[in-house]
This record gives sequence, structure tokens and C-alpha cells, in this order.
Amino acid sequence: MTTTRKIIHLDLDAFFCAVEEQRDPSLVGKPFAVGGKPEERGVVASCSYAARQRGVRSAMPMVHALRLCPNLTIVPARHRVYEHISQQVMEIIHRLTPQVEQISIDEAFLDVTGIDLPLRQIASQLQADIYQQLGLPASLGGATNKLVAKIATDVGKAANRSDKPPMAITIVPPGDEAAFLGPLPVQALWGVGPKTAARLKLLNIEKVGDLAARSEQEMVELFGKHGYDLVIHARGIDDRPIITQHQIKSISQEVTFTKDIRDLRLLESALLELSESVGRRLKEEKLKGSTVKIKLRWPSFVTVTRQVTLTQATDQEQIIFETAKHLFHKLWEPEQAVRLIGVGVSGFYRETRQLSFWDLQTEKDRTLQQAIENLQHKFGKQAVQRGAQTTTIRTHSAKRPN
Amino acid sequence: MKISVLQENLAHGLSIVSRAVSSRSTLPVLANVLIATDEGRLRLSATNLELGITCWIGAKIQEEGSTTVPARTFTELVSTLTDKQVDMNLNVRTQTLNVRCGASNTDLKCIDAQEFPPMPVPDLSDGIQINVADLKEMIQQVAFAASTDDARPILTGVQVSLNGNRITLSAADGFRLSVRHAELSSAVPNPVSAVIPARALVELSRIATDGEQVVTMILPPGRSQVIFRTRDTELVSQLIDGVFPDLVQLIPKSYRTRALLSTASFLKACKQAEIFAREGSRIARLNVQAGGEMQPGTVEITGQSEETGHNQTVIDASVEGSSQMIAFNVRFLREALDVIKTPNVALETNSDTSPGVLRPVGEESFVHVIMPMHVSN
Repeated sequence: MTTTRKIIHLDLDAFFCAVEEQRDPSLVGKPFAVGGKPEERGVVASCSYAARQRGVRSAMPMVHALRLCPNLTIVPARHRVYEHISQQVMEIIHRLTPQVEQISIDEAFLDVTGIDLPLRQIASQLQADIYQQLGLPASLGGATNKLVAKIATDVGKAANRSDKPPMAITIVPPGDEAAFLGPLPVQALWGVGPKTAARLKLLNIEKVGDLAARSEQEMVELFGKHGYDLVIHARGIDDRPIITQHQIKSISQEVTFTKDIRDLRLLESALLELSESVGRRLKEEKLKGSTVKIKLRWPSFVTVTRQVTLTQATDQEQIIFETAKHLFHKLWEPEQAVRLIGVGVSGFYRETRQLSFWDLQTEKDRTLQQAIENLQHKFGKQAVQRGAQTTTIRTHSAKRPN
Repeated sequence: MKISVLQENLAHGLSIVSRAVSSRSTLPVLANVLIATDEGRLRLSATNLELGITCWIGAKIQEEGSTTVPARTFTELVSTLTDKQVDMNLNVRTQTLNVRCGASNTDLKCIDAQEFPPMPVPDLSDGIQINVADLKEMIQQVAFAASTDDARPILTGVQVSLNGNRITLSAADGFRLSVRHAELSSAVPNPVSAVIPARALVELSRIATDGEQVVTMILPPGRSQVIFRTRDTELVSQLIDGVFPDLVQLIPKSYRTRALLSTASFLKACKQAEIFAREGSRIARLNVQAGGEMQPGTVEITGQSEETGHNQTVIDASVEGSSQMIAFNVRFLREALDVIKTPNVALETNSDTSPGVLRPVGEESFVHVIMPMHVSN
């Protein structure tokens, strides 16, 4: 029998807004949104709870948001700052457990099975740590799996709707998963979009509980493999593990111009900037990719992409730029207006590095090795041993019967 | 100057000295070969100021003299001459060399020999005698480990140390090192050490033919030069200034894993892995597996590339100590195994981030050390 897992889902409450409120306390309690200017086709990246009360939502065009909330204050986004603070949040989480799966800048799953405390206590301690150390409000959900933990967070946030951050903690005890999900609308489940919801409605399935009551076989016949997952998830079953390291498959950057651009020089300088930014990220992630891709969107919203594979994996801005430029000229006719332009690199090799005799670490290793040899010479082989050679003994002594 | 030489001797001499001709220099005379009568022979010399090579060939001298001939033109001309005898006659005033061979008659424009940089005249009595075959093997085993990157000039050289009757050549490029010892027939009075450009030594091993028994090495005091002399050739090289790192302290003194395996099988496996590791990272992954009581250990060599595929060879090995996974630049492995002459080789490792040691089994005089490649997850 497998042990019952303890999974926490953590979601920072209106993260960008919380950061901006720290910078400018006069924003607290006011309706404001972080994002681009409406005259530049900006969208809402994040909005305060006061703005949410007026119907403003993230990813909404800023023009639309202003229509809903005319006194909305617009704050330009400072993504570098958010990334930096997000890292600090993740560091706090990592102090609790290395079993962390970060799923976005403000969201993460944690597996805390190894911590011998009630789930609610772990969650409130973590919430308090983040609030005390960084002043950031967070909502948490706890359950035996990722699916239910995530939905628990969403349910907790929705139940605490006001013009203040919810800071909700919602725990679903083991065995209560299906009962907890039952009354929720099917859209609460992952993979249920408007289309699937409409099809389910035709089958008289509106609540998760309705779905859970159907047989796997019936749903597989109707929805294929996806149908099976739907029923299983509806019953609160989800055995996906925490994936601690995200395998990055590609790194790309794109920009939507404030006005459609036909000037070659401007387009090329945009390509250069994007290439530089992709190169920088590659180096940060210690990755080298061998496929360079560009993406162009015409004013008609038709999007075209082209890619090419290089003979050698690269993280060099200049190579990315030259390749992107070459691809660009294959797609672009002079005077053609461009709405969006993007550059990406994929096809990663694992980063490898030739070690050198004079690396700092090898120096250290050598000094250590030398010290060990000296000790062994003086006091015999048993005097100093590598940790790995004694692990068997240690694990035995650490394992206590329950 | 009026001389006669055999075409084949002249062609051979030019092929030896032309390696020192400066291909691009602001000094026009460095693109020329000095030809000069010298005690009944004809001396051919070329230099790029760092490396100078001289070769003496037999000649019939009717009139002494010297000049410098454009190396490329002269070499091309001589290689196409078909008759045995080549007659050369210099017009000193115009510095025009007339070259006649059979029906061929050529006038070459030369540059006055006065303009050619003077070559040192060594005092051969101070020389150290080294067996040519030994020296050539030592150079082959060591010079390839020297750096080709001018960022640290000292590492582009090979350290030649003489102490008592022992000669040691060592080189390292930061990622690998080679050290080779040999015995001298007679001991040197005082220990000496010099860092010689690896390129000069490679040239030396090319021109020192096996027919000759010994080469004389001379380190003229206070000149920062080394001279190697055989009966018919001489090579002069500038030394590299600086402190050569102590390579001996970089050689691990102990190991956790030691695998003994066939040099030829290991080399072949590396060559195959290299076909696949050529693109991308050049990595060969080695999995050294300790054997059980009844079965031998193995060394598994893997090369792979996203484009071309995956190659793996498993070689039986006698493995002492624990199993070990380690990755190396496959070219470094191949180049080292290429110069190991014994049928079996030992690979000694401590961890996947500390140096791997290759030793020819039964031959204490040579050791090669390679730093592994770090592969991140």
C-alpha cells in the first residue's frame, strides 16, 4: 500500500499588485491594474482585489478594464522585480522541502509528506513565513494530490472574495476528495474548457459529482482517453508526482508592436533585441539550443513561423540574431506590416563543461583529497572515509519503527 | 657563388627548412631561404625568428658565396627539375641566381644574404646527447597535450627537464597533461630545465630521421634559445619565458577505481564513440563496472548525438575498487590512447569530477591525466 501523500498548492494573492503596493502604499485598497497602456493595446497582467470587485480580470484588454472601472489606476509592469521576488518566495518554500514544483511565477506545488505535522499547520506556517518575510499574501490548498490541492486553493480564494487579499487556507482531508469536488461545476477540473463543458451539459453533467457517478467505460466511449482522466479526476484521484525540475523545452521572446511596423530597420532592431534576450536567458539556464525559430504575425492576425536547425547548439546572441534575420527575410516582403515578431531557441543539449586542472572546485577537491590521504597515512585507512561508504549504517539507524 | 648540387638533395633540403619559412611577415627576407657555401657543403636555412631550421647538403663548390632565394618559388622550381645535376651561379651585383638543370634555365631574383638574421653558432661541446628514437617517442607522447591557445603562452610549451641521467618532457593544456621520462646515456652535470614551444619539438621529430643515432641539445647560457643538432640538420627555437606549472602535483597519487583493459579495444571504442560525439559536446561516457567473483568487470564506452545516433562498446576489464561513471572529451581519450604503446592500459579514477589517469601497463615512464567533463542534469 502506498502512503497517503500530503500536497500543498500555493498561489500568491494578486502577486504583481502586492509587489506594487509595497512600492507605493497609497495603492492599497484602490482599484488598480498592472499591465500595458490601453493606447498601446496593453492587457491586464494582474489587478487588485478592489478592481476585481468591479469585474476587472487578468488577461483582459486594458481598454475593456477601463470601461468596467473608469477610475482604474494603471501601473506599468516591472517583470524583473517580480521575478526576483518570486525567487525569494521559492527560497522560503525550498527551506521547507526540496520537493517543490514551481508552475508559474506565483504558483507552486509542494510535497510535504515527509513533514510529521498536520497539513493545516504546515500551510499556515508557510503562509505566515512568506507574509512576515516578504509582506506577500498567499492562499494555500492542501490535499492528498495536486488536482485537489489546486482546486482547494481556488475554492478558498473564491469563498473569501472582498477588496482585500483572500489569504485562504483550504484543506481537504484524506478520503474527502470526491465529496469536496462533488458540488463544484465541472469547469473546476483541469481539461474542462467551454467546449467540453457544453458537451457534458448535453449529457446532464454539470457538477463534478455528476461526472464522478458515470462509468469510466461510458466516458471513454464518448471522449476517448481524455474521458477516462475526467472521471478519475472527478473522483478526486490524481497520482501525478511533484516534478521538481521543469525540463525547459524552448526559450522564446516576442513583442507585439504598439503600431504595426513596416520599417526594416525597426524590425531588425526588434529581432536583435529579442535575440539578445533569448541568448541571455539561455545563458542563465545554462542551455544551448540547436533550433532557431521566428514567429511573425501580420495585421490580419495570420501568424507564420519558420525554423532552422544549426550544426552546433548555441547560446550566442549574434548567431541567434543572424539566423533569425535570415529566416525573417524568407518570410517578409518589403513594406509588409508586422504586428508581432518573436524569436525562440529549442533543441537543447544538456550543458556540459570541460573541467580544468585549475578550476576552483578541483583545487578544493585536491586539497581535501590531500588532507584525507595525510590523515589516512598517519592514522590508517579507517580514520577518514567518504560519507557514501557509511550511508548504509546511517539509514538503518535513522529508521525507527512507528 | 658557383655550385653544383644533386636535384634530389636540394629538394630534400628545401622540404626540411621550408617549414620554418615565415608565411606572412613584414620582413621580406623571412620568406626566403638562405643558401650559403659552408665548409664544402651547401647550407640551407630558414627562420621565422621564433623557429629556425638549417640543413646541410653535399655540393661541388667552385666559388664560395651566399644569397637568399624566395622559398616558395625556389621549392616549386626545384621540385619540377628532372635532371640529376643542378648548377647555380650567383650574380653578386644584381643578386640574381642563375639555376640550370638539363634544358631548363632560370634566373631568380634574390635578396642579399647580409639581410638574413644571423643564426647562432652553437658550442657543441656543451651539448647533451639524446637518443633520437627516444626523443621522437617522447615528443609524440607529450607535445599533443600542450595548449594551442595563446592565452597562457607558457602552456603552449613542453617543459624539458634534465636531472642526472634522467630527461623528462611534460606538457599540459589545463584539461590534460602528459609526463614522460627517459634515461640519458650520460648524466648532465647540473639540473637544467627549459620550456620549448611544442611546435618546435614537433618539427624536430619530423626532421630528426631514425637513421641518425643521437641528437645534441644545447642550451646556450643567457640566450633564451635551444638548439638541436643532428649530423645534417639544426633546429633553433626561442624558449618560452615564465613559470611552468608543477604538473607532478596534479597527478593523483591514489585511486578508488582502477580498470585494466586492452589498449587497442579501448582506442577502437573511443574512435567509434567519437563518430557520434563529434557534434555537440564531444562527450564519451564511461561506465566502469566492477566484476563479481566469477565474472570480469567491464568498461562501457558510449557516444551519442541527437542527430546521428548512439554508439556503445562494452569491453572486458579487470576492475579494482568500486564502479564509476565518468565522462571525458572523447578526442582527449583517443589522442592519449593513440600514443600508448603497451598492449594494456590502466584507467584510474577517483570521482566523476576529479582527474582520470591513463598509464601504460608495465611501462612506468609515461603517464597521462585527463580532466573529466561535467554533465549537468
